[in-house]
Amino acid sequence: MNSSRHRLKALHRIASAPSRSAVLFGVMLIATISVATIAASAPAQHGAPAASVPVTWNHDIAPIVYSNCSVCHHPGGGGPFSLLSFHDAVRRGPQILEATGSRYMPPWLPASGFGDFAGARRLSDEQIALIRRWVESGMPEGDLAAPAPPRFDTTWQLGKPDLVLTVERPFALAAGGADVFRNFIFQYPLSQTHFIRAVQILPSVPSVVHHANILIDRTASFRRLHPNDWQDGIPGMELQVDAGNTFDPDSHFLFWKPDTPALEEPESMPWRLDPGNDLVLNMHLKPSGKPENITAQIGLYFSAAPAVEHPMLLQLEDDRDLDIPAGAHNFVVEDELTLPIDVKVLGVYPHAHYLGRELAGWAILPNHQKKWLIRIPSWDIDRQSVYRYREPMMLPHGTVLHMRYVYDNSADNIHNPNSPPIRVRAGNRSVDEMAHFWLQVLPVNTPRDSPDPRLLLERAWMEHRVKRGPDDVIARYNLAAAEAGLGHYDRAAVEYRQVLSATPGDARALNSLGAALESAGDLGKAREAFQQAMDRAPESCDAEFNLAGLQLKLSRFAEAEAHLRAVLQRCPDDASAHSALGVALTGKGDSSAAQAEFERALAIDSSDFTALYHLGEDAIASGALDRAIDLLQRGSAQRPDDLDTRERLAMALAQSGRADDALTQLYAAEKIAPADASVHSLLAQLLASSGALAGAIDEQTRALHLQPKDADGWNNLGVLEARAGRTAAARADFQHALDLAPDHVQARANLARLHQQ
Amino acid sequence: MALRAPVVLLAAFLLPPQGAQNLGTDLNGHPILELAQAHAKAVVLFFTASDCPISNRYIPEIERLDREFTPQGVAFWWVYPNPSDTAEVIRQHQEQFNFRGQIVLDTAQQITRMAHATITPEAALFVPASSGLREVYLGRIDNRYVALGQERPAATTHDLESAIRAALNRMPVPKAGGPVVGCSIVPLNAS
Repeated sequence: MNSSRHRLKALHRIASAPSRSAVLFGVMLIATISVATIAASAPAQHGAPAASVPVTWNHDIAPIVYSNCSVCHHPGGGGPFSLLSFHDAVRRGPQILEATGSRYMPPWLPASGFGDFAGARRLSDEQIALIRRWVESGMPEGDLAAPAPPRFDTTWQLGKPDLVLTVERPFALAAGGADVFRNFIFQYPLSQTHFIRAVQILPSVPSVVHHANILIDRTASFRRLHPNDWQDGIPGMELQVDAGNTFDPDSHFLFWKPDTPALEEPESMPWRLDPGNDLVLNMHLKPSGKPENITAQIGLYFSAAPAVEHPMLLQLEDDRDLDIPAGAHNFVVEDELTLPIDVKVLGVYPHAHYLGRELAGWAILPNHQKKWLIRIPSWDIDRQSVYRYREPMMLPHGTVLHMRYVYDNSADNIHNPNSPPIRVRAGNRSVDEMAHFWLQVLPVNTPRDSPDPRLLLERAWMEHRVKRGPDDVIARYNLAAAEAGLGHYDRAAVEYRQVLSATPGDARALNSLGAALESAGDLGKAREAFQQAMDRAPESCDAEFNLAGLQLKLSRFAEAEAHLRAVLQRCPDDASAHSALGVALTGKGDSSAAQAEFERALAIDSSDFTALYHLGEDAIASGALDRAIDLLQRGSAQRPDDLDTRERLAMALAQSGRADDALTQLYAAEKIAPADASVHSLLAQLLASSGALAGAIDEQTRALHLQPKDADGWNNLGVLEARAGRTAAARADFQHALDLAPDHVQARANLARLHQQ
Repeated sequence: MALRAPVVLLAAFLLPPQGAQNLGTDLNGHPILELAQAHAKAVVLFFTASDCPISNRYIPEIERLDREFTPQGVAFWWVYPNPSDTAEVIRQHQEQFNFRGQIVLDTAQQITRMAHATITPEAALFVPASSGLREVYLGRIDNRYVALGQERPAATTHDLESAIRAALNRMPVPKAGGPVVGCSIVPLNAS
């Protein structure tokens, strides 16, 4: 049972860490456009006060400012000054006029009509015209009572979080200089998994934070990459994290910007944090003129229930073609991806650096209809954001997603970080470029018995990347892992070998190849691959763990034990290794030592499935039914589709007199695996014990339909038929059992008893 | 933003004449009688406001120029023209942003008017002339901010610095290469 858990390490994922920048409020000296002319020439707007009616703060402007500006412009907010009173507005009148007239404020990049986004921050032409008239007429306050300004909570918006993580060391942001991009690492300190329904970042000095983005580092890989200085934060605009040993794609945009401090997920889609995970907070900081101490905190709100819907982040990108000559005005890169399944698009996140000018994404449906995902006519990294659709956009399989980004590497682009312009390629420094278009999609219309639809998305995505760049080793590795996840082990092995021909001796690829070969049934070659991986990376624990797993599969418990003890020398806190050692010791018959290892595994990771399962079995054997039920329920929560766990849980429940709960478990098991004979047999036993003979006979008949050569099963059916008074049928069943197994003692005895009646 | 009138007389070079114009006060409320000592080769006025974000972001740059050019005989003044910037507010501002320098509270906005400054952060550069000081530069500090919402990662043209260097070398002072971006100076009657 689960003794050969494989570590399909390495779904490398390039997680784009965004950057957005501060609200620069000011006014151009020369921008003294003739307000009167513009206002007079603008077409009359429906609902706008007639030109003769004075525009006042109290009647007209305060409602616009309070609902569109104050959300950032309040004390403790992201805006650099407050707009919460008539006095504030008069002080900033010319800037407000200029900022709204040029649509610099409120910050909103997407062009109108190219995607219907939630929370769109666009003033209407009518509102902008009102502001013009107000400023032009000397900014009168008006006679009406002033509306009450909105109030803002500058701490936790949703109340006290369930868990607050604080940056390890304060970061000293210098008074001046260029923008700072820094990645702060937060360790998830709990020993149980939680689903997160909402997150809020308290950046400590919101006015210097343009944006922040949280990445989940499942394997703490980024921290391990910086063992000596991670506490200070690591510079960089983007980062790569190692996605770990199971298919667990990024799923949520955890993007913070000043006007949406608390990020709540739909009830069905909380995101998961496991023991050992890190959160990486990527912050774009803008020096304010004075030194600042950044002591960011992340507040997490737990969900009572786990996720029932599983979105996935997909990426179109064309970093490969980013090789922009100095001076190029219109450098275009494009990408496209065909959807293998039906999805709903929940949101998008376009990302480029300082040379990006026009960013567009769209979809061509199978019926050739074009649907715009987004169009940003004038990109500005400082104002980047995630854009979520008001209503999810349904896209059927066969739809082709497109992105097209235009870059300006000339001196005319004032954002150009290089002066004079130089050739620019892809990279994660601010002087490099990127061409990324992320989509958050939710698979829909998934057929019954389909594999995890996200694996199909992953395969399509990685196949596309490999096609574009056959030397893209990470994509090929991920493609191999997706094939393995889909159960196509031979194809996976082919791809892993391709990876190895590009990177000979890569220990991770060798280990994954071994796992694929083992699953494909080629144990000899699998062992060779594991051994080679161990030779290449003797410090690593994965390959030797897998080799031990292979030996467990072959019941070579002593060899497995030796390898696992060696693994634990190097990785003493590896819960899986402890529980696998428990399995080996169980195999050797040393159950008390095994139990100790399972307990150790659980102490390290309270959700270690193998330990939960085996300790649950032990508890049943020792009659500790309440403990057994607790352990197996926790195990079943980890792997809801695992039949063995549900069957054992049902046994423990039945023995505790909770027949109905036991039946619930078995019906759930039947739903998961309707073609599994043992589930029907167990159901038959449980129904029979509660007197439901007809149902029991049905279930046993189903079991035998699936496994017609099961002599025990025929004998059991005979017993049920006899108890129901159907002697002839019972007799035939016992005879059937004897035909299959002439020496079946119980069937013979039962048949004899029937003859005596 | 072009250079304004080529010659602007501003009081108080050498000894203040009788009936000297109001040059504002220092943080203790004492009137400022002169902006430049006899040996000064130039005077820089940095118009600033405690509540203007772009002004604040220029503080390190002004300090840099101050450090570089004060030893060369340039006098730097931080001029606060807005009525809301009282001595107490300015003290807090200095404390928060950790800078030191010669402060002028331009309470009557006379310096502002004479320099023709309208925006913070804007800089004016004066050189000695026969009967006072002559304004040779008015405008942006550099080209980092191009317009509202349009900002370079770093300045590529340092207009004020070039102007100071030219003035010290007695060369023609180049005009500012673009507009000032920042916050309007608040008129006295608007507060």
